[in-house]
Amino acid sequence: MHEQARVAIFCGKGGVGKTTLCLAHGLRHASAGRRVVVITSHPLPELAVTLSLAGLATEYPAAAQNLFVVHLDAKELLAEVVRANFPMAILANAVLRSSLYNNLIDVAPGLKEFYFLARLQQLAERKGPSTGAGAHEFDMLLWDAPATGHFLGTLRAAKSFETYLSGPLAVAGAELARFFSNADSVALVPVTTLEEMAVTETVEMCKALSDEFRLMPSAVLLNMVSPAIGADHAELARLRGALTLGKLNGPAMRFAAERALLEVTRARELGALLAAPSVAVQRVRHWSSDIDLLAQAGESLAGLPAGI
Amino acid sequence: MKITVYLGTGGVGKTSLAAATAMARARGGAKSLVLTTDPARRLRTALGIAGNAAEQQVPLNGAGGGQLWGALLDVRATLDDAVRMYGKPEVVPRVLNHPIYATIASSLIGMPELMAVERIDQLIKRGFTDIVVDTAPSRHALEFLDKPILFADLAESGWVRLAGRTYRFAAASPIGLFGKTTFEVYSRVESILGTRLVTQILDFYSLFVSIAEGYSSRARQTVKLLKDPKVTEFRIVTTPQKAVADTGYFLGELESRGYPVSAVCVNRVWTPDAGSERPPGLEGELLDWYGAVRQTQQGQLRRLAAGFGARIGRIVPVPELEVDVGGLDSLEQIASSAALV
Repeated sequence: MHEQARVAIFCGKGGVGKTTLCLAHGLRHASAGRRVVVITSHPLPELAVTLSLAGLATEYPAAAQNLFVVHLDAKELLAEVVRANFPMAILANAVLRSSLYNNLIDVAPGLKEFYFLARLQQLAERKGPSTGAGAHEFDMLLWDAPATGHFLGTLRAAKSFETYLSGPLAVAGAELARFFSNADSVALVPVTTLEEMAVTETVEMCKALSDEFRLMPSAVLLNMVSPAIGADHAELARLRGALTLGKLNGPAMRFAAERALLEVTRARELGALLAAPSVAVQRVRHWSSDIDLLAQAGESLAGLPAGI
Repeated sequence: MKITVYLGTGGVGKTSLAAATAMARARGGAKSLVLTTDPARRLRTALGIAGNAAEQQVPLNGAGGGQLWGALLDVRATLDDAVRMYGKPEVVPRVLNHPIYATIASSLIGMPELMAVERIDQLIKRGFTDIVVDTAPSRHALEFLDKPILFADLAESGWVRLAGRTYRFAAASPIGLFGKTTFEVYSRVESILGTRLVTQILDFYSLFVSIAEGYSSRARQTVKLLKDPKVTEFRIVTTPQKAVADTGYFLGELESRGYPVSAVCVNRVWTPDAGSERPPGLEGELLDWYGAVRQTQQGQLRRLAAGFGARIGRIVPVPELEVDVGGLDSLEQIASSAALV
């Protein structure tokens, strides 16, 4: 059996629902008894995460035992390195407070990204079956990645350390670059809505990931789609005909049909450009709490290939 | 003079609303300009902007005595310009060709925001009186406000001056110049980051410090303008689903920094009422789903009004279009259907 990838990366354009689907996926598997770690790296989603998970312990007690959301702050990771390098806390704190240190790490190209990736890899090495002999701490690791530009920048940080610096960081950089260009260690799960801008960005992101890191998407998540995605061909043809002939009643019906048909076209275009299975997540109608929204969205993720 | 800044998380439609606002202002007779960091291709074409080239006038059909201009914020090119403007002639080529410089423009978080402030300053000098800005599509939107100040502090902080002015001597006899504790700290930091990297950064600063000084005094003035409610208004952009959380977050951050917030624009609101008739088949299923989502959105808008109505001047719902936003016609449609002026 093919060993599953060590990190599943939920990536894509800003605002398409990466955090929501990443948490939904985590919640779904945590409820089924797997031990799941979700990694976030950016400040605002951290807020979203806190809000989304309110009520987890009372509504999904089983999942609450198994779902861990970890915010990795690169600056804090670097501070750990400093503390490890200094025998005395007082000296370490002097370094951490000094403007010399703070300014250096702010402008050092890719340094924070580098330490972030290094910790992610470290966590991935600790992943494994959480039951049986030699049980691991968790058996599912999901990275709720930042929006496309920053995400690609983060991955490139490992490469640039390899290419233009010498010393111990360059060696570690080479190792990181290998890890994050290996389909056995990472599974890409691009998330997109079916709007033109999001689809274009997804295609370009996948091209960059393939060209620079030889990574192909394992599955593409189509988020917030209408019920027309997945409808059969004849029904869609009927709807298109009715819209074209002006036979749809009312502005709401015309609006819904026009957008839905546009989405169907986009989904086909995307399918032709990316050689990966797609999973559609319908826009949720009503939800009683954020955690309920995650649970509903999670149901649609049953179609994801195993190993993510 | 009027500066309008659109702020929000990624993917909520800041660029489209900024462009539609500038268009509405032009229609009202102003000479308005939209400064954007990352327009989608179609919007870029519609506004006629390419690269960091000078501002482009966008031809408007029909009535309205004003002008619409578009400009793209190219971070690297704006930084290059700033280096040329503030740097001594002999330093400029060494900064532009420095290995650290190449990465500072592309990978330093907050650099787009920093350069937006620089560009606003240039635009004011060039005589534009109505500037609409959309902030970079990053999760770090607030660095737009923090970075110019941080940067100014950086240029004025002791160690950068020291490193900048005396780095070459310091490299020869570091203890004498840094003092013993500082040197201890310095050498530890060096052992963590690697000598070559630290040397490169210090060398870069030694060249860059005079440029940063020139830049920062101007940046402070621009930030002062951005805090003046008679000149500037900040508008938070969000979507119905994120409205309450985003508004709470951005409003708090903006108010604590002393920036004037004038409106929350809730983008992509589904407007037409679904009615009560249900056609059969896929049509019915679609309409059902549409009606439910719309009803949820209405609830989200009500919660926004209840939570923040008293603290914010205006809550502006912006209808979602049935087509993709891109061309001038779709901007017209947004401008005419929402009170963005």
